[in-house]
Amino acid sequence: MTLSDASQKAIDDYLAALRRQLRDLMEEDMNDIVEEIRAHILDKTSADADPAQVEQTLAALGAPRDLAARYCTEEMMRRAEAHRSGTQKARIAGRWTFGILAGLVALVVSAVGYSLGGVLIIIGIAKLMWPRGTGLWEAHYPDGTWSLSFSGGSGNAPPANSHDLLGWWVYPIAFILGPAIIYWTYLLGRWIARKLWPSRKKFNYAASAPQTEI
Amino acid sequence: MEEERVLNPDSADKWEVQLRKGSLELAILAALWGGRLYGLEILRHLESGSDLVVAEGTVYPLLTRLRALGLVESEWVESDSGHPRKYYSLTAAGRERALEMGRTWARFAASLNSLVAPLNGAVTKEKP
Repeated sequence: MTLSDASQKAIDDYLAALRRQLRDLMEEDMNDIVEEIRAHILDKTSADADPAQVEQTLAALGAPRDLAARYCTEEMMRRAEAHRSGTQKARIAGRWTFGILAGLVALVVSAVGYSLGGVLIIIGIAKLMWPRGTGLWEAHYPDGTWSLSFSGGSGNAPPANSHDLLGWWVYPIAFILGPAIIYWTYLLGRWIARKLWPSRKKFNYAASAPQTEI
Repeated sequence: MEEERVLNPDSADKWEVQLRKGSLELAILAALWGGRLYGLEILRHLESGSDLVVAEGTVYPLLTRLRALGLVESEWVESDSGHPRKYYSLTAAGRERALEMGRTWARFAASLNSLVAPLNGAVTKEKP
């Protein structure tokens, strides 16, 4: 279907205004609503519709602000009903349990990620200050035992009977991998936070005033 | 003052609006009883099957709530018209709710009909 530029612009303007009014909804829900209203407008509008007919179709839907307010009203009713429903209560309890567990996992992952990144950077700085005493030391002892240790900052000499496995590789590991781990941890934390606590619609009770028609 | 309040035509209009609004959920669930429909088909079904005057901007938010409550489910389907349409159908919970509401409605209507029976003569006379 090909609409005239003026008709298409009127539809686009209406949907853009509706999208702005629904901006506090989750993006997926907002897109779904806008696309459904677009489909409705296109279903009601013939290909050769003039701008006046398009305006008539848009007017029948109501102003974007009023239409958005109706979605808010229905959402309030849904929440009210959800409070009464045992099934919904169980779902909410399940969501809370999942949220708490996911939050704990996020906390542990963040603690490990930030600590690991920070320690790597500190090792890099220590290597700059005490180049001979800092590294990943592999030691072989006369009794046949073997050990692996990370050390630095305690002196400018390597531990006895040991050699550094990393050498100068400690610098890229410390100053590239360390910040990268911190950044990835930040991204992961933000992603988890958005999944767990997406923004919710703040209802405008004034905007959702009683309607004069159904 | 009291008389003015009683005779205020707005009160009767508001009551009718609330009555229509309250019954719209049942009307939509009943419309979907026969199979899946998209938004405009539901609107046309309501208009053709009754004298319900439904504002177009009312049905879509209500459908969104019914979906969130798990009474209807939706799917986007490509159409010959060149754009996809969102079809709604009843879930098992929706069918159960529709039956329950239908039974309640029938009982309520029967009770109220008997209560308003004395008015029927007067209402008939008023008709042009």
